[in-house]
Amino acid sequence: MDATDATANQRLPLIAVARRQLQRLRGVNRLGFALIFLIPSLVIFGAFVFYPLLKAVYLGFYETDNFGNQGDFVGLDQYRTVLTSESFRHSLWITFLFALYTVPPGILLGLALALLANQKLPGISIFRLMFSSTVATSVAVASLMWLTLLNPNVGLLTYFLVEAGLPRLDLLNDPDWALPAVSATTVWMSLGLAFIVILAGLQTIPDELYESARVEGASGWRLFWHVTLPMLSPTLFFVSVVGTIFAFQSFGQIHILTRGGPLDATEVIVYSIWEDAFGKGTPAYGVASVQAVALFVLVLGLTVFQIRFLERRVFYQ
Amino acid sequence: MSRVVFDHVTKRFGDVVAVADLFLEVHDKEFLVLLGPSGCGKSTALRLVAGLEQPAEGDIIIGDRIVNNVEAKNRNVAMVFQNYALFPHMSVYDNMAFGLRMRHIPRRERHQKVLDAAHMLGLQGLLRRRPGELSGGQRQRVALGRAIVRNPSVFLMDEPLSNLDAKLRVQTRRELIKLHRHLETTVIFVTHDQVEAMTMGARIAIIHEGALQQVGDPQEVYQHPANLFVASFIGSPAMNFFHSELRLHDGQLMAQSGGARFPLGEEQARALAALEGGKAIVGVRPEHILLDWEAEEGPEAGLDVVVDTVESMGHEQHVTFSAGDTTVVARLDAGRSLREGERLRLRIDRAHMHFFDPDSGQRIE
Repeated sequence: MDATDATANQRLPLIAVARRQLQRLRGVNRLGFALIFLIPSLVIFGAFVFYPLLKAVYLGFYETDNFGNQGDFVGLDQYRTVLTSESFRHSLWITFLFALYTVPPGILLGLALALLANQKLPGISIFRLMFSSTVATSVAVASLMWLTLLNPNVGLLTYFLVEAGLPRLDLLNDPDWALPAVSATTVWMSLGLAFIVILAGLQTIPDELYESARVEGASGWRLFWHVTLPMLSPTLFFVSVVGTIFAFQSFGQIHILTRGGPLDATEVIVYSIWEDAFGKGTPAYGVASVQAVALFVLVLGLTVFQIRFLERRVFYQ
Repeated sequence: MSRVVFDHVTKRFGDVVAVADLFLEVHDKEFLVLLGPSGCGKSTALRLVAGLEQPAEGDIIIGDRIVNNVEAKNRNVAMVFQNYALFPHMSVYDNMAFGLRMRHIPRRERHQKVLDAAHMLGLQGLLRRRPGELSGGQRQRVALGRAIVRNPSVFLMDEPLSNLDAKLRVQTRRELIKLHRHLETTVIFVTHDQVEAMTMGARIAIIHEGALQQVGDPQEVYQHPANLFVASFIGSPAMNFFHSELRLHDGQLMAQSGGARFPLGEEQARALAALEGGKAIVGVRPEHILLDWEAEEGPEAGLDVVVDTVESMGHEQHVTFSAGDTTVVARLDAGRSLREGERLRLRIDRAHMHFFDPDSGQRIE
């Protein structure tokens, strides 16, 4: 460094000096430098996401004794036993049904309400408030509400049925109707968020596109098919992927409404994991961990599937 | 027959009157420009013809029928939007074919029409591309193509050149004029740019605050502006205005404005004398202001000024002078070089003075 360099450095602002020094570092050193800034995130993710995931895989390889202590190493045997068991297959089936009952209806209902609330009518903001309000309710509150609503003695449903001269229904205790009832609660709970996201997506569609389509001869259904739907596809894709992931992770409403019953009619995988690990007298961490890992792979697989097959039809601008 | 008539049309948005009792006829096959500043109601008038808005009062007539209750898609009009409004998820071909598809035109006929229009606009190589992959000028041509393909009776264009860069704008202007000649349809063209209006329109309709100010061919509107607004809006640099009073000087009636004296001819004197208050606004275009070499006072219209700023245009210069409180802009030959602060005497070409009533803004003949 000669004298001219020194004087130049004095005049440059600090950020330029830092950039110069950064550029002097070689590749590996730059990575080290970057890691210093990443450490806080890495620590948190590591502690609460990566470590538990790896630990769960690990725990699946070990039996658990009746007191919850780690027992013998059994390798992949436990994985095989649990994943081929009748109980797990049942949970898998219930979980799929649950996702089917909640995700498509949730999207369709959210879309229908968003389309209605997207009009320029006086007082429309009241409806927007109503339709998005469920986003403010917690799982517990919503579940308790529905528990009461569906109560065969004091619930609102019973009131309407009796008024109509129909027999009372005890949906949550009926093995045929418990899952649909829980699904209805879940759809109601997640409607607020789906509505908000889809409405936001609708409002980004420029009016000019609709006007142009109208002048060109489209109206009603064709406007929806040729303008609304393609322009909304990224939003719908997002709601579908995220909705599916949430559906597979549902626990709270099942715990409050049916506890996995009656007769395991609402025993989704997450609930089964909870029961095996914490719900029964004898904690079976190994079995629960196997199911947890299986759930992870399942959700990952479904997400990849959606990305590969659905995202093709999504139009991004 | 595809004339368009605004028959005493009024349109309100809440308390705001966007279009006020508009009466205007666009002749069959004419290229009419709706000109006015932003927010004057010209776009609203266009949308009324398209069917995107309904008039509060009055009738919109296309051809021979009143179309107030006819839906946009059944009016046989095509619209080119300022931002083109192309469907971003469809290819250029599908964009252009959209209108035909909506009308259930058979595929082979559709294909031929799209190809014909594409050929007319030089879009053949771009048919498989999406709008996102095109430049502004190309998108504009696709928007035009989409309109042409349907063979409408009326073309509506809402500031289609505003989003193009200056050079492309000039080029596209010429192409549009040629296209209009070739297609022989009625075109209603909305713009706020008076240069566009003057170069493109067979007639120009100037609109201000929802009301029609004047309609006529470019020459007429330029040389005989009907009121102050038209006089100030058309022409660049804008017309100079002098608030003046009628005075008698040496037995001759003059309009006096500060240091300027405008001798009036017989007819002009008579018309102005009939005004109450004896005040008038004299308008003179910058090209009709001349340098007075002989610093004489005389019966000529003269003005003592100080040079303020000089803008060189190459072949001419736009000089801003100040005379007391008034500012005068003149277009002068580039030959004479002027310095800031220089004192001069200007002469005004008497044949090209315009007079306006200060209260109503209307032209006085």
